[in-house]
Amino acid sequence: MASPRNAASDRAVPEILSALDLAVFERRTDGFFRNVAPLPQWFASMLDESADPAAIDLMDAFPFLESFLAECESAVRETGCSQSDIWTERDRDGQYRHLQALAMNIAGQSLLIFEPSTGAYTALQRAHDRALESERIERLRRELARLNEELKARNAEVERATRAKSDFLAAMSHEIRTPMNAIIGMADLLSQTPLTPDQRKYVEVFQRAGENLLNLINDILDLSKVEAGQIVLEVVEFDLAEVVARATEIIQVKAAPKGLTVRYRILAGVPARLTGDPGRLQQVLINLLGNSMKFTEKGGLEVTVDPDPQSNESGRLRFAVADTGIGIPADKLDVIFENFVQADSSTTRKYGGTGLGLSISRQLVTLMHGRIWVESTVGVGSTFYFTASFAVPSQQAALLQAPAESTKAAASQLNSQLARGLQILLADDSEDNRFLILSYLKGTDCSVDIAENGRLATEKFEAAKYDLVLMDVEMPEMDGYTATRLIRERERAEDAKPTPILALTAHAFAEAVRRSLDAGFTAHLTKPIRKATLLEAIARHAPEARAESRPAKIHVTVDASLQDLIPGYLAKRTADAARAAEALAAGDYDTVRRFGHNLKGTGAGYGFPALTEMGAAIEDGAKTHDQEMIQYKLDELMRYLEQVEWSAASGPAEG
Amino acid sequence: MLKKKICMLGSFGVGKTSLTARFVLSMFDEKYHTTLGVKVDKKVLQINGTDLTLMLWDMAGEEEDAPIKLNYVRDAAGYLLVIDGTRGATFNVAQSIQDRVRTNIGPLPFVVAINKTDQRENWEIQESQLRELATLGGPLFETSAKTGDKVEEAFLTLAGMILAAQEAGGDGIPEERS
Repeated sequence: MASPRNAASDRAVPEILSALDLAVFERRTDGFFRNVAPLPQWFASMLDESADPAAIDLMDAFPFLESFLAECESAVRETGCSQSDIWTERDRDGQYRHLQALAMNIAGQSLLIFEPSTGAYTALQRAHDRALESERIERLRRELARLNEELKARNAEVERATRAKSDFLAAMSHEIRTPMNAIIGMADLLSQTPLTPDQRKYVEVFQRAGENLLNLINDILDLSKVEAGQIVLEVVEFDLAEVVARATEIIQVKAAPKGLTVRYRILAGVPARLTGDPGRLQQVLINLLGNSMKFTEKGGLEVTVDPDPQSNESGRLRFAVADTGIGIPADKLDVIFENFVQADSSTTRKYGGTGLGLSISRQLVTLMHGRIWVESTVGVGSTFYFTASFAVPSQQAALLQAPAESTKAAASQLNSQLARGLQILLADDSEDNRFLILSYLKGTDCSVDIAENGRLATEKFEAAKYDLVLMDVEMPEMDGYTATRLIRERERAEDAKPTPILALTAHAFAEAVRRSLDAGFTAHLTKPIRKATLLEAIARHAPEARAESRPAKIHVTVDASLQDLIPGYLAKRTADAARAAEALAAGDYDTVRRFGHNLKGTGAGYGFPALTEMGAAIEDGAKTHDQEMIQYKLDELMRYLEQVEWSAASGPAEG
Repeated sequence: MLKKKICMLGSFGVGKTSLTARFVLSMFDEKYHTTLGVKVDKKVLQINGTDLTLMLWDMAGEEEDAPIKLNYVRDAAGYLLVIDGTRGATFNVAQSIQDRVRTNIGPLPFVVAINKTDQRENWEIQESQLRELATLGGPLFETSAKTGDKVEEAFLTLAGMILAAQEAGGDGIPEERS
């Protein structure tokens, strides 16, 4: 019997349970669970609406419970401990409901209590979201690391490939230069023998093609070296005006036949002496000038150097190479600095060239911390600009006092007279090269001993006294570096004055030059070697005491059939040159032009191609009233006529 | 009518709930809902003329400090082992679960679903792992709960295997319950 007080508490229990949001069931004797208090709304929302609340089949509604109870009811009975688990259901609206089931035994009565488990779910969801997110970050991190590795590997691969390409090109360059040495050298020699006009034309084609090929090889090599990051700029002190003058002179020679003038101006404020890489600077200038010349038919080229107006550094300069050529369309102004690109792809055929010059220039300028650009008007001309930074030697900080202008140049000092009467040792394993060098020296009084390899060279050097040694660097048995080192050691041991040893090598790279100088070579000559270059180098490096005793002479071999005419021809030129000098002084450019024209037309025919060249330059100078230029050429001509010594070829030319 | 219990097993977040929802309700929800405990769904099929009710026990994914509850697998007729193709580690979890089930319960019919083919560009599962999975003995399905690709095939194949195992009266297959 329930007391009133108990009855009150009996009524209170369902209300308390309801207030706690709990759904409580007890197992009845029929085995079914029946709720002991009204079901909370959240629990009812998971049940079939049509189900009788008084006869809910929990197992049917929640299949999970069957397994849960099978697992835990016996445990509850045996241990007296309650058992719980969580699970998920979908309510009538399809929403997920997260629940906790608690099985317990109170006074022999099996109870099942349900409560929402939203907190546990929220915590788990958050933990899983975090775990998935950190996994995702870890994956991205791994992917990034993998990409980095891949990039590194690819970079290494590219570097390897570039190095292989560069090595290959260097090796090929050696292989190509060696036979070209023979081809260009022989063509040079051939051009100095008596030839019919047709033959001369053919030889000139030979020479031009050879030179073009050589330039092409040099361009490709340079580009591959810049690309491989293998070009290291030199840091030496140099005279800026000298570099600019040399570049313009070289182009002047090529531009003269087109009647183009080549000038330069160095404006006030530019330091006279700079520290940097004069060779590469000159290369950029020659590339730009050569490019401008190619696309310019009349007018001229002008180099202007001034302080970079965008900068305050004293060694920061702006170079401008202006032409009066065909110009470049606006949409091509950027692409022309890319490899193998010319403004008009049909240009390659019409104007020649590989399109590498500008690309190399751009890369070299970048190495000099500058930039390159072009401004152009089609039909009017183009101006290529580049900036570059140089150091200014502290003791040389003085600026150029007055602007310098073209086109005064140092006379070409082909003092072949110095090469006479010298005892020369030539070490070269290639018969072709030996023959070539011997041919070059044939006209001189030098006597040449031959050594086929480095070992023989050192033996011969010990056995006899030589004024100068020409040494190929790559030879069987003992290379030129080793031989030179041995010779230097011996000289040091005997306290003897070092004998000039000139390296002959097909390697044109600065590194090769440095290597030969390190080995003890006096100088480095790159094959193919032109006759003039060789003689000049010998003259420059041969011991002076012997050389100075020799009179200055230039030797020329002429066609035997012309030998009776030569003395009169040369005498007449000497007299005419004096008259031309007078005419020049009087401003009579017409007379000067006729003189130049005549000299140009006759010189080569008599066997004096140098006269033809000088004549052409004088004629061109007269056309543009270039007084300085003409004076310079007339001086050169006078010297030449004084120094020239000729002999007739021993037999008629073959062929 | 035949009623069979199938468990969805695998690491958390591999798509067990999504595969079940795709199979039972033909739906897909982009949002990730973790499963608390277990969620039971029902699907009625007809296989080779036999009516079959599948009770799909979509079980909470395994975590490092929360292994799946094997006691709920004990009365299953088979299971679907789910791997997330974009997460290599879920391959190892699946292998470990498969080991535990075979050791503790016995050789139940199962199929392997490598899920999320819709993100194949991000897959981490290696070719060698696929070969290793093939040696587990369960047929392999590359599924996408998102597009539905191969989902039905995986479930129907498992159901077919369970029926075949029952007909053969093979060991370890729980008795049918009505």
